[in-house]
Amino acid sequence: MKHSELTFQAIVEATPNAIILVNKEGKIAYANHQTEKLFGFNRIELISQKVEILIPQRHHEHHPDFRTQFFKSPETRAMGSGRELFAMRKDKSEFPVEIGLNPLVTLEGTMVLVSIIDITTRKKAEERFRLVVESAPNAMILANKDGEITLINAQTEKLFGYQRNELIGSKLEILIPKKFSGNHPHLRESFFHSPSVRSMGAGRDLFAVRKDGTQFPVEIGLNPIETDQGTVVLASVIDITARKRHEAMSALELKNKELEQFNYIASHDLQEPLRTVSNYVQILEEDFSGQLNQEAKNYLNTISRATLRMSMLVRTLLEFSRLGQNKKMVSLDCNTIVKNVVTDLNSLIKETKTTILIEDLPTLYAYETELMQLFLNLINNAIKFRKKDQLSEIRIGCRNNSNGHFEFYVADNGIGIEPKYFARIFQIFQRLNTSQEEEGYGIGLANCKKIVEMHGGKIWVESELGKGSTFKFTIETV
Amino acid sequence: MLIDDNMDDNFFHKRVILKNDAAEIVVIKESAEEALEYLKTYHTHDQKVHPNLIFLDINMPRMNGWEFIEEYKKLDKEIQSSMVIVMLTTSDNPDDKALARMEGVLADFRTKPLTKEMLEEVLTKYCSNKTGL
Repeated sequence: MKHSELTFQAIVEATPNAIILVNKEGKIAYANHQTEKLFGFNRIELISQKVEILIPQRHHEHHPDFRTQFFKSPETRAMGSGRELFAMRKDKSEFPVEIGLNPLVTLEGTMVLVSIIDITTRKKAEERFRLVVESAPNAMILANKDGEITLINAQTEKLFGYQRNELIGSKLEILIPKKFSGNHPHLRESFFHSPSVRSMGAGRDLFAVRKDGTQFPVEIGLNPIETDQGTVVLASVIDITARKRHEAMSALELKNKELEQFNYIASHDLQEPLRTVSNYVQILEEDFSGQLNQEAKNYLNTISRATLRMSMLVRTLLEFSRLGQNKKMVSLDCNTIVKNVVTDLNSLIKETKTTILIEDLPTLYAYETELMQLFLNLINNAIKFRKKDQLSEIRIGCRNNSNGHFEFYVADNGIGIEPKYFARIFQIFQRLNTSQEEEGYGIGLANCKKIVEMHGGKIWVESELGKGSTFKFTIETV
Repeated sequence: MLIDDNMDDNFFHKRVILKNDAAEIVVIKESAEEALEYLKTYHTHDQKVHPNLIFLDINMPRMNGWEFIEEYKKLDKEIQSSMVIVMLTTSDNPDDKALARMEGVLADFRTKPLTKEMLEEVLTKYCSNKTGL
């Protein structure tokens, strides 16, 4: 053996990879010690054997063609780029490999030096990584430097409405609303310039877009991962629609609390100067009656009436603000509630010869006083706004509207309401009738609305002028 | 005795009391502090007017009606004796919590303004002798 050959052999024996030398006919001319270890063959069993002895049966058909092609234009390269390669041991067991090909010109002609690396461990790690990503509760997206998606999990499919194969290989910008996607490549570049674990767009509101074009608020965490294909980024995407909604709700609740507090203070403090006015009118009337002529007395009378009315309004406001404060929901039989209300209104009902028909009503969880007040207001209104020439008839009933609500109705045959007033009647201090015609402070339906809303429901009216009104409201069945 | 920072109310209430012949003397204090000071020292005054009935406003700047009650409880029992406090409120219905805070003091709740009827009711309920108010 020549010196150079010896040197070559020493080097090959010393490398940690399995190395074999294969000739044009595909026969193994040489195999190193690592090859013996890796494949479980003795070197003697391999020499002069077709290289297919190391390849799984299913690849035997095409392998000679590949080999012929390689020898046509021999160059140093990796085998089967993009495909997963498997090798086979003597015991027929398979394992994943990476294979490097190096043409080698020898006295016996061109041969190929094949370097084989067992990548079982790496594949296992990759598989583990894939499993972790797959089982993550968040949508996770792996993308390379060019912004191409290389891996996604099931959550991503679910969240964005895409199939896996639609996303793999696509640009990340497909998931970003048009408004923001223009600047995204630039942002991605700067991320890869100094990759670090961080959340995306700190301080900004981020949005993602689904396949169907709908957008939703998200929070995105970025993790750079070093791979042999360079740095890639693992993005973890959380849909924060629910959280955003919750935040908005809390803010609203807080505003409502503040408003109630303000309402209480305002109505409380407003009473004081009012009382002073009426007190001193009283002094004038009592102490100076003899010095006042009839005209002055009339004016004082007007002041008294106005302050009394103002005082009533302020008290009403106070009561409105107090509705449902520090109350507990209890199980209530609406049949009993309505029966009690009708008893309360007994004299009015008899006086007006009103007929009230009550269907079977459900039992539900509600605030007792408020629920009574609700029925009281609605029945009272139905009687109050009856037709002058027709006896009043009121029907009360309820049906379970199957989306978690009871839907009640209180229907009358009264004067009815024009559609343009349907919303306004539920606002506080709004009255459609002037005070000369009907007494009242415009609080009844505003109270009703507030009470219904306290029970997670809605109230509305269906009516036609001259044909009676039906007030409907829903109450959560929970 | 009237304890209220609202002079308009004081004037009106005093008038109602005097007009209905409910008291001989009406002492008016515009703050809870002044009232406490008076109660601690009235026996040194020439007139030595011992109030039998106090109308106390709840909403006052600095020391309010509730704080007055707390301080009042610390006074000598002798001073407290034969003295009734009526809390005057602007709002209608004091809750149970409010009532509990007056425990240990002979006291009541009324809504402003003080009227003839209210006065009579309080007097029959708490006071047999009409002297100083």
